[in-house]
Amino acid sequence: MPIMLRGALAIFKRDFKKFLSNPFIIMMTLIMPIMYLVIFGSAMGGTLTHIPVGVVQEVPPYNDTPLFTSATYQLNHIGQTDFANKLLDVTVYADENVAKQDLDNGKLSAVIVFPSSVSNDNAVRVYVDSSDSVTPPIIEAAVDQVMLGLGARNPILVDKIYGNIQYLQFFGVGVIMMAIFTSTMFGGGIALIKDRENGIHEGYLVTPVKRSSIIFGIISSGTVRAFIAGFTIFWIDLLITGITLQSFQDFLLVLLVILIACIGVTSLVVSFASRFASQQEYSSVIAFFNLILFMTSGAFYPVIGMPGWLRWITIINPEYYGVHALRSIILRNQGLNVIGMDLIALLIFSTAMIILGIVTYRRTLE
Amino acid sequence: MPLFGHEKIPAPDSKIHDGAINGPAGVLSGRTPTESEGADQGDGTAIIRINHLSKVFASKTKTVIAVNDVSFEVKRGEIFGLLGANGAGKSTLIRILTTLLSPTSGQAFVDNYDITRDPEKIREIIGVCAQNYTSDLELTAYDNLEFYGKLENVPDSILPDRIMELLKMAGLTDRAYMPVGTFSGGMKRKLEIVRAFIHRPLILFLDEPTIGLDPEARREVWQQIMMLNKEHTTIILTTHYMDEAEKLCGRIAFVERGSLIALDTMENLRKLIPAGDLIEIGVDHMDPLAEEAIRNVNLVNAVSVVEHKVIISATNGSQVIPAILAVFDKYAVPIISISIRSPSLEDIFIYLTGKGLDSSNGDGNDAPGTGRRQPR
Repeated sequence: MPIMLRGALAIFKRDFKKFLSNPFIIMMTLIMPIMYLVIFGSAMGGTLTHIPVGVVQEVPPYNDTPLFTSATYQLNHIGQTDFANKLLDVTVYADENVAKQDLDNGKLSAVIVFPSSVSNDNAVRVYVDSSDSVTPPIIEAAVDQVMLGLGARNPILVDKIYGNIQYLQFFGVGVIMMAIFTSTMFGGGIALIKDRENGIHEGYLVTPVKRSSIIFGIISSGTVRAFIAGFTIFWIDLLITGITLQSFQDFLLVLLVILIACIGVTSLVVSFASRFASQQEYSSVIAFFNLILFMTSGAFYPVIGMPGWLRWITIINPEYYGVHALRSIILRNQGLNVIGMDLIALLIFSTAMIILGIVTYRRTLE
Repeated sequence: MPLFGHEKIPAPDSKIHDGAINGPAGVLSGRTPTESEGADQGDGTAIIRINHLSKVFASKTKTVIAVNDVSFEVKRGEIFGLLGANGAGKSTLIRILTTLLSPTSGQAFVDNYDITRDPEKIREIIGVCAQNYTSDLELTAYDNLEFYGKLENVPDSILPDRIMELLKMAGLTDRAYMPVGTFSGGMKRKLEIVRAFIHRPLILFLDEPTIGLDPEARREVWQQIMMLNKEHTTIILTTHYMDEAEKLCGRIAFVERGSLIALDTMENLRKLIPAGDLIEIGVDHMDPLAEEAIRNVNLVNAVSVVEHKVIISATNGSQVIPAILAVFDKYAVPIISISIRSPSLEDIFIYLTGKGLDSSNGDGNDAPGTGRRQPR
């Protein structure tokens, strides 16, 4: 028994010494749960605020009815003990078609069309962006509450413009981005760090190979691997959630978005790999990024529900653009006019990361 | 080099000896007079110039001067040996010259390219075999060579043939398509060496090329190195094996604690040591009186007894032997073996540094002369 203990103690001591000698890992192990608490808590549990809705009054008459004026005012002031946290941001439209167009383009979450008078025959029509399964019930409840408060008994007709989309379908699109990121965790640049850990890089650093060749090569390989993962999960997602694409053009667009998102995410990961010397440190940083980027991508929960500081992260988050573009195509059947900005953002992001990766890559052993 | 080896190299200023006298258990291992002497000594112009080069590694706790104000030149076409104990700074020097590290101060030029300004030009003309294994263990031998062939810009049209040629040279043809991870240490080493000259570099850097190889493999590697040198490749070799340096190198630099302590041809280095020859006599038991008597023999400079061996340093070995044998006879000490040799590189190294090559350089408390040669 003492011999067994002696051995166990030696193993313990060795392991613990290694643990203590790496403050970075200690820090990351502590930061991870804290980040979970803060980001997961904020991103998922956050109350939705400032949901953009459009209101229109049916014509005739061509001047605003008391019902319309009051309802608009009430909608715009729901949950407003302070203005910063109000539920809805109401925009008044004169033309129903213009409002619907903005709904189609994703500028609005709902369009509410009020009838000319208070009556049981004239319904309030609510058009909601049903590709987001979280906000429509909230908007419906808000309209209900306002109408009740005004004593108006008009029926409310809800039109889910993208049909009845389940949360599973909403979330499934986000999982495609997750597949891309996960595959880059193992594929994107980890070879560079392995080489560094094993001293293999010394072999090729003395050859004329350029820094840019090394980075481009590793990004290409990582992109292909991520693309295979993303593409596979895309099919599985379609099978599980039962979504059908509307056209072959949509299919091609999905491939394009997955590809560009792969380049973006891989170049981000490689830009980190170009500097790290230890797999352990790298993995903990990448796991951290995986968490923060996925949480703020809107894959789980609409970005609109996040606190302001988290929304800032979404601006530089390639996954946000990826998720948005994929949802636009898969759930909303939208085209390049809507996702164009996402693709441009992803490309700008990729370029920046590739440059960062090349600049920070160490061409010497120092 | 065998402990009881016969080592005699004709030097201009000494008579040629007939070789060893073999005792009853005498071990005779022949060595044809220095291949290195026949090797291409270069055309005299410098291909590498190093001026007051220093490299300091500084951390929070310790500052290490790995290379300390080193200056020398390597001539075009020669085999140049960098000798020193582990940690003497050889590899750091090689890494600076191969653009892997930048010097703290000083300058170095490789084929007239400044190492700090034109590292890319230098990388095109050098081949490097690092001390540690740098092949990808998951890839096959062929894939490894192909990878490096592409990085070294070997044209695709000749690459497959070149790879097979190199694999044949390394004796790995039948292992071409097996992962390098399954190779023995010697096989990996040979692959590394042939890989270093896949692109026929102008200068080849070999950092401890034969470390961990068996004697036969070492000789094969030496042959490869000499063959490449005949094709006018300049070779810079680091080693802590004396025999390797003696066998291969035209000129040898001794490195000790980051400083250059001697640089010359083997022949001239030999002149640094005052004693002419070393006579080793194998015995079962040595009589202290006999030892004292030998000390008094004319031309004998020093006598020491190490285990079952009497080592006598004498100005003119072969002439002294009869007198020494007479002493053994007189004190009735049976002789098992006798060998006579001129001082080896290691003897010179010990003379210059006060310690053997294989002793660690780190703590500095090694007893002088404890170094043991590697059995060949």
